[in-house]
Amino acid sequence: MTRQAVETIEDAVKDIIVAELRVDRDQLEPATHLMKDLGADSLDALNIALRLEEAFKIKIPDDAIPKFLTVGDIIKGVNEHRAMQ
Amino acid sequence: MRRVVVTGIGLITPLGCGREAVWSALTAGRSGIVRIEEFDTSGLRTNIAGVCRDFRPLDFFDDREMARLDRVSQMAIAATGMATGEAGLTNGQLDSYDVGVMLGTGFGGQSSIEEYCGAFFSNGRGRRSAIAIPKSMYNASSSNIAIRFKTRGPNLTVTTACSSGANAIGQAFHLIRYGHADRMIAGGADAPVTPVVMDAWKDMRVLSTKNDPPERACKPFSANRDGFVLSEGAGIVVLEALELAVARGARIYGEIIGYGSTADAAHITFPDPDGESNAILRALKDANVAPAEIDHINAHGTATKLNDQSETEAIKRVFGDRAREIPINSIKSMIGHSMGAAGAIELIAATLAIDNQVLPPTINYEEADPQCDLDYITEGARQVSGSNPLRTAISNSFGFGGNNAVLVVRAFQG
Repeated sequence: MTRQAVETIEDAVKDIIVAELRVDRDQLEPATHLMKDLGADSLDALNIALRLEEAFKIKIPDDAIPKFLTVGDIIKGVNEHRAMQ
Repeated sequence: MRRVVVTGIGLITPLGCGREAVWSALTAGRSGIVRIEEFDTSGLRTNIAGVCRDFRPLDFFDDREMARLDRVSQMAIAATGMATGEAGLTNGQLDSYDVGVMLGTGFGGQSSIEEYCGAFFSNGRGRRSAIAIPKSMYNASSSNIAIRFKTRGPNLTVTTACSSGANAIGQAFHLIRYGHADRMIAGGADAPVTPVVMDAWKDMRVLSTKNDPPERACKPFSANRDGFVLSEGAGIVVLEALELAVARGARIYGEIIGYGSTADAAHITFPDPDGESNAILRALKDANVAPAEIDHINAHGTATKLNDQSETEAIKRVFGDRAREIPINSIKSMIGHSMGAAGAIELIAATLAIDNQVLPPTINYEEADPQCDLDYITEGARQVSGSNPLRTAISNSFGFGGNNAVLVVRAFQG
């Protein structure tokens, strides 16, 4: 994957998190925890998963969602699912 | 049997928000009916409705909370905040298993359902949501009230179309009266002014098409009435066992003394004066008052041909010759028909009429109808004479489905 594509995915993931959780983009570091740092709950996680599926045309399996804990986890997960599908 | 009093009032209506704003508009005979600008109405025959334009959700919720709450829940929660705030209830007095919620709604989270259906049926073009179910379910409003105010007691949603709010207040009244709760947040909320609902009502041909000017459209009991005007809103009361209200020195607006509920068991939409008059009789019996003691009737008064005629007949069956002496109003002439909220807002109006000794008018009355020949307060708000005070009133609510609910409210005397 090109460096540009990697940055595009990261940007798109951050766009979704910002829109769903109404947080400032500056808050989003790779280690930022969605629940502990941004106050998300399980319903937010489901909406984020839905938006990721729409944006990246991927299918996120049920058991992957609980593993999306940090911004970095989500970016890594999207890349893995894209590679697989 | 405990006595039950009203100690807090919250209102979101097309006439404004809060008890004082709404009461002054009602007694001024002002209409809240406006041209719909919220969505395209070009395919409709009716382009007017009662829209709560003074309700600013951002005064009550942040962006994230708003995204989780359908408009109906936003209005129900905001009205609850007003009612509990005005009742002077602290968090400690709400956070209890003896405090509950009984909320009426006819349409629930209709906007959220429409949004999701739109996305579903447009092959991925619309915006889907993982939270469409918890936003749109009928009990979302009552549950969200509990979550926000920590009321842990009985939490129920009543859905009987246009009588939902009245049935909710009646059921809450009985829960307190018979000791199942000490305090109840009770009332109704509905947000059905949506493209799909307007279109569906259009096909049923019961909405007024007197679009110009909007504020003159709704003409209850007038011979030239041509249907109801759809609206939205929320009406919430805090009901308390009398001893609790007195113990904390609460301001008491009135006492709920009776509730009657019946089903026409006849036709799903065609009203039946038999079921309606029996609801009134059951409410009077529950209140242990005679028909002669009723000083005022807040009518269902939708301004459909059938309702106003049937309701007039039901009133005559109960009150006989005295029916002509009882001042009757339909505040739907000003607010429109807010469906599940209507019965609650109207019970509040009847309570405030007693509290203020002023009767809001039925506006837009133009032509006498031989089948609607009672005193509908058509000349403007009426000051009650001191020699003949307004003590006891009933509020009628008759829903599609043949679900009738009548409440009796009386001036509080210790």
